[in-house]
Amino acid sequence: MTEIQIEPNSFEMVFFDAEKIANLASEVAQILELGDEQIKLRIDETSSMGRSKVESYEPIILAVDGGAFENTQRPRYLGETRTSETIARLLMRIIDRRSPGFANAPEDDLLDLPLRVAWDTYTAGRLNHLGLSTQKKRRQYQFRNRHGFSDAADEAFTFLWGSPNKLVWADIERISVGCRIALV
Amino acid sequence: MRKIFPAEELARDSRFVRQSNEDRMNDPRGARVGGSTGEKLSKLTPNLPNGPDRARALMHGIFVGEIQALEGAGRTCYDFETTTDVPFAMKLDMARQCWDEARHCEISVALAEHMGTEIGEFAENTLLYQAACNPDPVLRLTGVNRALEGLAIDVFNTMKEFGSIAGDPVLEFCEDWMLADEVTHVKMGSDWLRELTLNDKERLTKALEFQKVVDRLFSFNGFRGEDDENPIQLTRRFRELAGFSDEEIDDIAQMSREAAAETVH
Amino acid sequence: MAEVKRPREPFAPWDRRVLPGLFDVEETARRVGNYKWVETKLFETLGGWIATVPELDVKLRLGTHCYHHAWHAELFDKRLPELREMNPERLAIPPNENLVDFMEAMSEPEAPGLTIEKLVGAYRVLLPHKIAAYTYHRNGTSEVTDMPTIRMLDFVLQDEMNDWREGEMLLKSIIETDEEIERATAHQARLEKLMLAAGGIAGKGSIGNAYIDITEEK
Repeated sequence: MTEIQIEPNSFEMVFFDAEKIANLASEVAQILELGDEQIKLRIDETSSMGRSKVESYEPIILAVDGGAFENTQRPRYLGETRTSETIARLLMRIIDRRSPGFANAPEDDLLDLPLRVAWDTYTAGRLNHLGLSTQKKRRQYQFRNRHGFSDAADEAFTFLWGSPNKLVWADIERISVGCRIALV
Repeated sequence: MRKIFPAEELARDSRFVRQSNEDRMNDPRGARVGGSTGEKLSKLTPNLPNGPDRARALMHGIFVGEIQALEGAGRTCYDFETTTDVPFAMKLDMARQCWDEARHCEISVALAEHMGTEIGEFAENTLLYQAACNPDPVLRLTGVNRALEGLAIDVFNTMKEFGSIAGDPVLEFCEDWMLADEVTHVKMGSDWLRELTLNDKERLTKALEFQKVVDRLFSFNGFRGEDDENPIQLTRRFRELAGFSDEEIDDIAQMSREAAAETVH
Repeated sequence: MAEVKRPREPFAPWDRRVLPGLFDVEETARRVGNYKWVETKLFETLGGWIATVPELDVKLRLGTHCYHHAWHAELFDKRLPELREMNPERLAIPPNENLVDFMEAMSEPEAPGLTIEKLVGAYRVLLPHKIAAYTYHRNGTSEVTDMPTIRMLDFVLQDEMNDWREGEMLLKSIIETDEEIERATAHQARLEKLMLAAGGIAGKGSIGNAYIDITEEK
């Protein structure tokens, strides 16, 4: 059973329940077969922005803005689907980085926006297969913004979205850069 | 059917979720507008890491704003008596605005879908419609056609530029068309304000004061302005076309700076 | 003298228009004034209903149709001075108090659950009556002396037919139960009775009289 730590464990600016978040994180970790690893989740409740990142890969520490867990229909309240999806995307990034195929991937801070979005597309597609991500059109719009509003970019998106666990970093890089060369 | 229809009773289907002004203003993290909050404001462009998501949220805000603008124009057709309250020709302009806003709803819901947003994905606030509830037709016209539609000019121009920079031909094309309509609506407001207050300086002053109140509200704590950190940029050229004087535009820009400063301190 | 092959008739052989018509200038102005009043009341009502209707597609159609009827009102308003009525507002009146009652009853539904009643009033009662009256006027007026009104009515009728079809399709797609059919027909019957009392959108004789008057012999 994965051990989940939530920081802070109570909230003043938003109506979040730390235990609920821990349960959602635990469910996601189980689906992603993360075993008994400890996961720490740092939530900045003062921010309604939607930023999220892996703060540490070993041990796992995730840092998110409160807005990334928020129900967009009811600001300040927890959005369960969004919470699960955000955690799952970050954990999937960790799983990828631990595999040899992603050994050459640049550090998170050095990833340019198109590469980050291409990787997120591949991640979201796999999460969709697992029933954890549903916003395909949103991801496609993000992908188009970074790779062009073109048939070539749409084909690349479809490929990344529908490639369960068979790509390596070099594939993602090649696809992303290929779209951008086509744009020029 | 009643005259003057309250904002809290605006009819929506089950997909829409309403957020009260109270809830919005009481959010200790800062009032949210179109995917942004008071914190770390910056001009909305695709180059921001969260640019596409903010544009996506803003498009939903535009969509519900267009519904409210449609409802507001429709109510102005109904709430006032022809000739005794307002001239027949002004009502015809408001009916024309209904058609335009109905098209804008169609355009913005299609654009929202293009950007990956579902109807009702974000909470709706009825602040815009409230400007259309004023019982004085001159004040209502000023609040809606000069302040609200003026904001629409700024929003559409920002989104058009967003589409242009992102290379999104659909967004750029549609926003440009909507922008043309909004300039027409603001011009209608400017023309009717002049016409209806021709011999009534006191009413003109009152209307312009009301416009300032609404414009200040629509500055959303510095969300709209002409400095680099304002997500939505005040659009001088199109506002001039629509009958705003340089002095009026300067006032709105200054108002936005003051609103932003008040939020920071 | 200009060179022509040979003189021609002023009316081409296929042009069968005739001078006489059912309405003189005064009667035409009266009817056009009534039409303007009806179109104005209708666009105002449709505009008012937009905020009260939760169905998104209906809301948007009402916004579009609101303008169509405002444009019709504008056309009729512009025609009135051409019919010697220099103050168009003087004739922009209902033909009788019964039509005022009808309009009030038609625009009465406000609650969000009453979309059926709103659409029935506009699209099953008023628009068919307008189409009937406009068609009667269009077909009965002088095809030469009153061509400006005919041209206007042709544009208006094209809108009316399209809008009626859209409104009727919205209704057909909203009505799903026996109870809703009964609501629609009951409201239609109530409004039709009021319209019958009014005699149509231009009062008695809105669409002429189809019956033969028989005088009994003594």
